Amino acid sequence: MSKIVVKISILLVLFNLNNILLAGDYNAGKEKSQVCSACHGVEGISQIKMYPILAGQHKNYLVHALNEYRSGVRNNVVMKGFAAGLSDKDIEDLSQYFSMQNGLKIPPLK
Amino acid sequence: MLLSCNIWAEEFIAGKTKAETCLGCHAIPGYNNVYPTYKVPKLAGQHAEYIVSALKAYQTKERKHQTMHANAMALTDEDINDIAKYFESLK
Repeated sequence: MSKIVVKISILLVLFNLNNILLAGDYNAGKEKSQVCSACHGVEGISQIKMYPILAGQHKNYLVHALNEYRSGVRNNVVMKGFAAGLSDKDIEDLSQYFSMQNGLKIPPLK
Repeated sequence: MLLSCNIWAEEFIAGKTKAETCLGCHAIPGYNNVYPTYKVPKLAGQHAEYIVSALKAYQTKERKHQTMHANAMALTDEDINDIAKYFESLK
């Protein structure tokens, strides 16, 4: 019985460690976002209308989009170039930072 | 001036009506896409020009997403412009 408890505890600790390591660090994201700001604007509010506003977007959507740019599933020459150089941790950090800026909203239902 | 206000109002109403289908997923807080799981992106306040380019990329399947592909296929260029302007106006 106690062996099972120990095993479960170890699993939980490992799972949490993984979450902590990949949780996304706001300050690291802010630092890394300087490259992005050339097109997506300071704090993710782009002034160039063809580039999306990132501020306030859902974090896990940003992670998903960056992963697709990196893998090439989402085919965009410019974004592929930038995303290719990002690690999983970079993607988590950047997404954490942009998702916490004030910007996009969920549209009202009525 | 009045005329331009009228045109703006007409476009707004057209966009709002055409955007109703979108709201079923994009206006539900916490609503998830599955496989892979992520929250359906926020659109309110997004640049119209970007929304137009995204919808057109879904139409050509350059951007892959089955539901968005099906929805985008049904739209004319005018629909896309109206919808994009409506979401941009929700700042």
